[in-house]
Amino acid sequence: MKDTLKRLRFLLRQTLMRRRRQSELDEELQFHVEQTIEAKLAAGMSAEEARRLALIEFGGMERTREECHEQRPGWWMGTVAQDVRYALRGFRRNPVFTVAVIATLALGIGATTAVFSVVDRILFRSLPYAEDDRIVSVGLVHSLETQEFMVGGFFFDWRDNQKPFGAMASQGTMPHACDLVENNPAQLDCLNFDAGFLPLLGISPVLGRNFLPEEDRPNGPRVVLISYGLWQGHYNLDPAIIGRLIDVDGNPARVVGVLPKDFQFPTLQSADVIFPFALDRAAQATANGGFGTPMRVFARLKPGVSITQAKEEMEPLFAHTLDTVVPPVLRKDMHLGIRSLRDRETQDMQLTAWILLGSVLAVLLIACANVASLMMARSEARERELAVRSALGASRARLIRQTLTEATLLSLAGAVVGLALAEGLLRVFLDLAPTGIPFLQRAGLDLRIACFTVFLSLVCGVLFGLLPALQTPRVVALAARAAKSRKRTVLRRSLVVGQIAVSMVLLSGSALLLKSFQNIEGQRLGMQTGGVFTVQIPLPSFRYNTGQKQMDFYLQAEAALRRLPGIRAVAISDSVPPGGWQGDYRYSDLAVSGKPHPAPGTGGQVDTRSVTPDYFKALNIPVVRGRNFREEDRHSGESLVIISRLLADLMFPGEDPIGKRIQAARDPRWHTVEGVAENVKNGGLVEPDNPEMYFLRSNVADYWGERAPLMIVDSVLSPKATVPWVRSQIAQLDPTVPVTVQTLNEQVSKLADRPRFETALLGFFAFCGLLMAVIGLYGVIAFVAAQRTQEIGVRMALGATRMDILRLIAGEGLRLIVLGGTLGLGAALGTARLLKSLLYNVGPHDPGTYAAATLLLALVALAATLIPARAAMKVEPVEALRYE
Amino acid sequence: MPTSTDLLQGTVDVLILQTLAAGPMHGWAVAQRIQLVSKDVLQIGQGSLYPALHRLEYKGWIQSDWGNSENNRRAKFYELTETGRKQLETELETWTRLSEAIGLVLGRIPEATA
Repeated sequence: MKDTLKRLRFLLRQTLMRRRRQSELDEELQFHVEQTIEAKLAAGMSAEEARRLALIEFGGMERTREECHEQRPGWWMGTVAQDVRYALRGFRRNPVFTVAVIATLALGIGATTAVFSVVDRILFRSLPYAEDDRIVSVGLVHSLETQEFMVGGFFFDWRDNQKPFGAMASQGTMPHACDLVENNPAQLDCLNFDAGFLPLLGISPVLGRNFLPEEDRPNGPRVVLISYGLWQGHYNLDPAIIGRLIDVDGNPARVVGVLPKDFQFPTLQSADVIFPFALDRAAQATANGGFGTPMRVFARLKPGVSITQAKEEMEPLFAHTLDTVVPPVLRKDMHLGIRSLRDRETQDMQLTAWILLGSVLAVLLIACANVASLMMARSEARERELAVRSALGASRARLIRQTLTEATLLSLAGAVVGLALAEGLLRVFLDLAPTGIPFLQRAGLDLRIACFTVFLSLVCGVLFGLLPALQTPRVVALAARAAKSRKRTVLRRSLVVGQIAVSMVLLSGSALLLKSFQNIEGQRLGMQTGGVFTVQIPLPSFRYNTGQKQMDFYLQAEAALRRLPGIRAVAISDSVPPGGWQGDYRYSDLAVSGKPHPAPGTGGQVDTRSVTPDYFKALNIPVVRGRNFREEDRHSGESLVIISRLLADLMFPGEDPIGKRIQAARDPRWHTVEGVAENVKNGGLVEPDNPEMYFLRSNVADYWGERAPLMIVDSVLSPKATVPWVRSQIAQLDPTVPVTVQTLNEQVSKLADRPRFETALLGFFAFCGLLMAVIGLYGVIAFVAAQRTQEIGVRMALGATRMDILRLIAGEGLRLIVLGGTLGLGAALGTARLLKSLLYNVGPHDPGTYAAATLLLALVALAATLIPARAAMKVEPVEALRYE
Repeated sequence: MPTSTDLLQGTVDVLILQTLAAGPMHGWAVAQRIQLVSKDVLQIGQGSLYPALHRLEYKGWIQSDWGNSENNRRAKFYELTETGRKQLETELETWTRLSEAIGLVLGRIPEATA
C-alpha cells in the first residue's frame, strides 16, 4: 500500500515536471518572439508588420519544441511507451489479427525449439569427451551383432600392432549385477574397464584418481572407481570415501576415485562400480573356448587420420585375426567395423532426428510465411492511417519506429507463448519417446535455438511489416489504394502457394507413417498378451553362484506363484516374444540326424528359447503337430524340443518332423522334436519372423546358470490385484532381490513406441502446417474478395448471378490450391524415399495414402476459400457500388 | 539580409559558450550578440538556438534561471557553469589548432608565423 502511494506520488511528480518543462519552454519561446517584435518596432515598423515578420522569422514553433524536447537524455523512452500504448490499443481493436499472429509465432517457435532441443544432442552437440570427433568404436561386426566387439584373444595383438590410433582401450560388454554388502546393502551394476579407458576419453575422476597400470593386472590389488550417483546416494558425497574399503560381492575393495557427475559410458550403459579389467594376456588365449573375454573397444584416431584411412590400415590385422581366431564357418559373415562414436551412439536415431528436424523447419517456414502474410495484410489496411499520420507531421523515422514496436511486441508475445509451448511439447516428447533415444532424458530447452527462432520470427514480422512504411509515397496512399497493392497481392499469393506445397509434403509424409503405424498395431502376434505379465528377478551371482541354487530359487518361486488365486499358468523362459533374445544360432548351426549339414552361414537366424511346458499355455500358442512338453518331461532328463512351423517347413519340407533329432552347435546333445508350434511374431514388431526352436527347460542344474530366467504368469485377475501378491511371494523367498513386473501388453506397446513417436510428431507438425496454410489461404481470399467488392457490385449490376461471383472468388482460391498442391505432391513424392526405412508394409509411393492426403488438403483448403467466397456472393450490389 | 553561413552543430555550441562567457543572458540576447559580433555574418535561428541551449544545459555546461529582462519582463537567463568554462577552454584550443591547420593547408598563413 505504501509502495503504491509512493509510486503514485512519483508518477504525479513526473507528470507535473513534464508539464512545467513544457510551459517554461513555451514561455521562453514566446519571450523570444516578443523581443523580436519589439526590436522591429524600435526599427520603425508598424505593429502589424513587425508581428508578421517576427513570426515568419521564427519559423515552426512546434518543431523547435519537439527538438528541444529531444535534447533531453533518454527522451525516446517516453515515445517508446507511447508507441507501445498505441500498438496495444491497435491490437485490442483487431483481436483476430493479434491472436492469429501470436498463435502462429508461438507454434513455430515452440515446435522448432522443442524438436531442436531433442535432436541437437543426437545430431550436433559434441559428446562429453575431449576431442570427441576423433574417438571411434573399433571391432568386428557380423549379422547377429552389429555393434563392434572384440575378444581378449586378439585385442592385445591389435592394440600393439595398430598404426592409425593414438590409443585403444577396452571395457566389458555388459554391466553385471553385483551386491554392495554393507549395513545398507544394495544391488548395483558393476562393469570393468582398463586403465587406459578414462584417459582415452579425456575424463578424469572428480575425486581421487584413475586406476594405476599396476592395478590393471591379473591378481592386482582389488580397487574400484564408483559413480557419482553411488557416491551421492550411498555415501552422502563424503570425500573420505577415497581409500575406504567397501564390500562388493563379499570381498573388500578399495575406492580409489569417483567418476564425474555427468560422465556417461560411450556405450550409454550405466554402472555404479567399476573394476579394472585386469586381463591376463596369456590366459586370454585359452579362455572362453580360445576366444578370450568379449569386450567393447574404443580408440582415438591420430590427428589427421580419417576413418576410411584407419580402416585401410587396420585391414591386415583384421585379415590376420580372421585367419587365426575366427572359425572358418563364420569368416564370411565377419567384417571390420570402425565408426565414429556419434554414429555408434545414435546411428539408428539419426534418420528420425533429421526427418523431425526437417519437418519442424517446414512448420517454421509456414509460420514465417503466415506472419509475413498477416503483417502485410495489416499494413495494407493501415496504409491510410499511416498516410494521415505522416501528413499530420509524424516523421518517417517515427512511423518506422511505430511499426518496429508493433512487430517486436508481437514477436515477444509469440516468443513467450512459444517457449511455454516448447516446454510443454518437450514434456510430451519425453512421455511419448521410446526408451532407445539416446540423451533424451537430458534434453532441456535450448536457449540458443529459442533465441534463433524468436529472432527469425522478429525478422519475418518486421521485414514485411516495414515494407509499406518504407515504400509508400505519402500522397498516393492518401488518395487511392488499389493500384499499389496489386504487386503485394502477388507476393502474398506466392506465399500461400508455398505454404500449401509445404503442408502437402508434411501431410503425405505423416499419412504414410500413420498407415505404417496402423499396419504395425493391427498385425497378429500369434499369441495372447492380455492378462499376461512377466516377472524378472536378477539374482546376484555371488550368492546364487551355482546353477543348482538358481534352479532351486526359480522352482520354489514357480511353485509359490502357482498357489496364488486366479493364476492360470506359470512358465519359466528366458525371454518373451515379440522382442527378446537375439538367439545366438544360425540355421546352419543346426544339424539334423541323417541329413547333410547345411552350407555354413545359410538360412538366416534361428531364435531359441528355453521354456517350461506351461510356456505355450501361458501365451496361448497352439501346438499344431505332435504334442506339448509335459510336466513329467522336466524330470526325465530327456532333451526335447518343439519347433515353430516356419522352422519345420524349412528343415523338414514335406516330412513329418515329429521324432526327428536335431543337434545345435556347441552342444553335444541330440534333441528330439516333440511337436510343432504355430508361428509367433518373434523378430520384433516390424522385422520378419524368424524360425524358432524351443528347448525344454528341464530340472537339470547345469542348464540354469546360462541365461537369466524370466517368469511368465497368465492370470484371470487383473495384474493390479495379482502383482502385489507376486511380490510378496518372491520376498518370502529372498527379501533382497529386486523384482520387475511388466505386463506383456506394455512390452508389446513399448516396441511400437518408436513408430508411435514418429507418427505422432510428424502428424502434429502436419496438422500445424495445414492449419497455418489454411489460415493464410483464408486471409488472402478474404482480402482479395474485399478488394474486389466494388468490381463485384459492377458485375452484378451488369447481370452476373451470385453463382458467377462465387465461381469468380472461389476460382481464385482454387488456382492457388491446385498450384500449391501439385508442387507439394511433386516434392512429397521426391522426398518420400527418405521415409522408406521407417515404413512397415506400405510403400513410400503408396497411391491410396497420397490420394487420402491430397483429398484432405483439398477439402480443408476449399472450405477456407468458400467461406469468404460465400460472403462475397451475398454482397448487395448497391452497397458494393458505394463501397469506399 | 546578409547571407548566413551554415553552422555545424558543434560550432553553435562553442559560439554560445563563448558568448555566455561575457555573463548571464537570455536566448534572444545570445542570438543578437552573435549576429552583432560577427557583423551579421552568423545568424542563429531559434530552431538551432534553443535545442542547443537545452542540450548544453543537459550536459551541465550552462545553467539557467528565471530573471527579469532589461525591459522588465520575465525571461530565462543562461550562464556558464564551472565545467562549461573548462569545456570552453578546450573547445577554443581545439578550434585554434584546427583553424591554424586548415589555414596552413589553404596557404593563408605564412609559414614563418606558424
